[in-house]
Amino acid sequence: MMLSWEFPPRVIGGISPHVYFLSKSLSKNDVKVYVVTCDFPGAPAHETIDGVEVYRVDSYKNPSPDFATWVYLMNLNMQKEAAALAGKLSDEIDVFHAHDWLVATAGIGLKHVFRKPLLVTMHSTEIGRRDGIHTSTEKMIHETEAWLTYEAWKVICCSDYMVSHVKWAFGLPDDKLVMVPNGVNTTVYENIQELDCKPFRSAFALPEEKLVLFVGRLVYEKGAQVLINAIPRILEKVNAKFVIVGSGYMKEQLSSIVRSMGLEHKVLFTGFVDEETLLRLQSCADVSVVPSLFEPFGIVALEAMAAKSPVVVSDTGGLSEIVDHDSTGFKVFPNNTESLAWGITKILLDDKYRNNIRQNAYRKIQEKYDWDKIAQRTKRIYEGVLSEYSKSFWA
Amino acid sequence: MRVVIFSWEYPPRIVGKLAEYTSALATQLVNNKVETYVVTYHPYLTGMSEEANGVKTIRVANPVRTHIGVLTWVLTLNQEVERATANIYYPAQKRIDLIDVYDWHFIPAAVTLKNALGIPFIYSVESLEDHRSHSANTPFNMAIKSIEWLGFYEAEKVTAKSEWMRDEIERIYNVPKEKVQVVFPTAASWIKNVLKLYEAAAGGATPR
Repeated sequence: MMLSWEFPPRVIGGISPHVYFLSKSLSKNDVKVYVVTCDFPGAPAHETIDGVEVYRVDSYKNPSPDFATWVYLMNLNMQKEAAALAGKLSDEIDVFHAHDWLVATAGIGLKHVFRKPLLVTMHSTEIGRRDGIHTSTEKMIHETEAWLTYEAWKVICCSDYMVSHVKWAFGLPDDKLVMVPNGVNTTVYENIQELDCKPFRSAFALPEEKLVLFVGRLVYEKGAQVLINAIPRILEKVNAKFVIVGSGYMKEQLSSIVRSMGLEHKVLFTGFVDEETLLRLQSCADVSVVPSLFEPFGIVALEAMAAKSPVVVSDTGGLSEIVDHDSTGFKVFPNNTESLAWGITKILLDDKYRNNIRQNAYRKIQEKYDWDKIAQRTKRIYEGVLSEYSKSFWA
Repeated sequence: MRVVIFSWEYPPRIVGKLAEYTSALATQLVNNKVETYVVTYHPYLTGMSEEANGVKTIRVANPVRTHIGVLTWVLTLNQEVERATANIYYPAQKRIDLIDVYDWHFIPAAVTLKNALGIPFIYSVESLEDHRSHSANTPFNMAIKSIEWLGFYEAEKVTAKSEWMRDEIERIYNVPKEKVQVVFPTAASWIKNVLKLYEAAAGGATPR
């Protein structure tokens, strides 16, 4: 039984598509998956998607004074509903699999009440997101994450970088950590014809402008500010339009920076866009930029590569592992506008280099980040845990 | 009969009157041949112990030490209450007849245990948020009230210590009067009344 605070159509960040594709691919590999997640307007309380049983719980039942308290209250309802479901299924549930601290207390409680193993995928950490622990809320979340990894039988991370980061952050033993990369779905991009691009991109950029794409939440660690500061340097060499997709607490601040730089005509903030528009943008962009300061994995880079868009990424976290410099993308120094401007300019001006990178990147995606292979690896982890569990006094 | 009492205060940790009451209750239950466990909070005296009077206590601490309010503190402590109760349930041939929960703090654990394992619970009301914070309706107070409401909804039976409290429970939460039983703590028949109530409520939830 998987617990996740987001599942399509509720999409807030990368966990939602991750749980969606992982559960579907597990189902294809003969694992019966129940997903318990938060509700979403218009989405049914229970549905079956390709064999995956999805249950949505009322997540705004309790009034909450702040986000963190809301999370714990939501967990109360999630745990109650999951407990009723798992109780009805009696012994059918073999493992509980939680995704991030957002479902920590529900997962930990279910583990003990049913005495079944708990696994966790740590998609991110508070100490990484905030670049340190500064407030009581952050400390509380950090301690909740530590507790969750302590209670988990295995802790799955999506990159070697996250394995070492999580090991450092919570002092975990090596044999508890396992790396399974995130996957990417290439089929959704196959339907998008390159011919579509000309009329489509005219809504975003002038014909003579190159299209530079940023996709991500507008928060500090995603580094949109670094890209914006690099724009004047890029415009010295090449005419381009910068399309910034996503929303977040820095949105107002970023648009006012753009205004004060006199770049309103070169930067387009689209906000959150629908999936079809996003897929097209990724397919039609001349370059996709991921300038993150902290990036546990970097799914957006994988998506761009699957869309055959060349990528410029900061050499940090999971991005360092996804991209091979000069082969499957261009790596730049994190939080360095000069370096970022150099990388973007290089890709935009050198057609041969760009095409080479696109092809290599697409090949790597198919070899390494295929959901079917990832589901098989995850299944083997479940089987390993169950075989250890069968020798324990809980069995 | 095997009964587990949930209380957020229990000697030696005394916050208000509840510690004294639950302690007297547990002692009397043992005297009346009820196998009695108490699951409670203590910042460092954790683990199971058996007292001279035969009451078995399990004290749990919160694994998360930093908090931004009593709500987050309570909501991260409940998993330890669930763990402690599972540690009673599984070695005891998977049988706990009843959980008696004092006030809202451990209602989440009781609700999960009922839904997961079919253990019925009684919600024993010592005080209500509406009285403690005088009709305050900030999201913080409303969140606590929503947990109290959940407790009333999911409980087999509710106990109050006075007729006045029974009326208040009906007035504020629309709980039907017949669901609420008044157990006068000073009545001569006090423990007999408690035992009768326990007998009626035990096994009330659908076994799974």
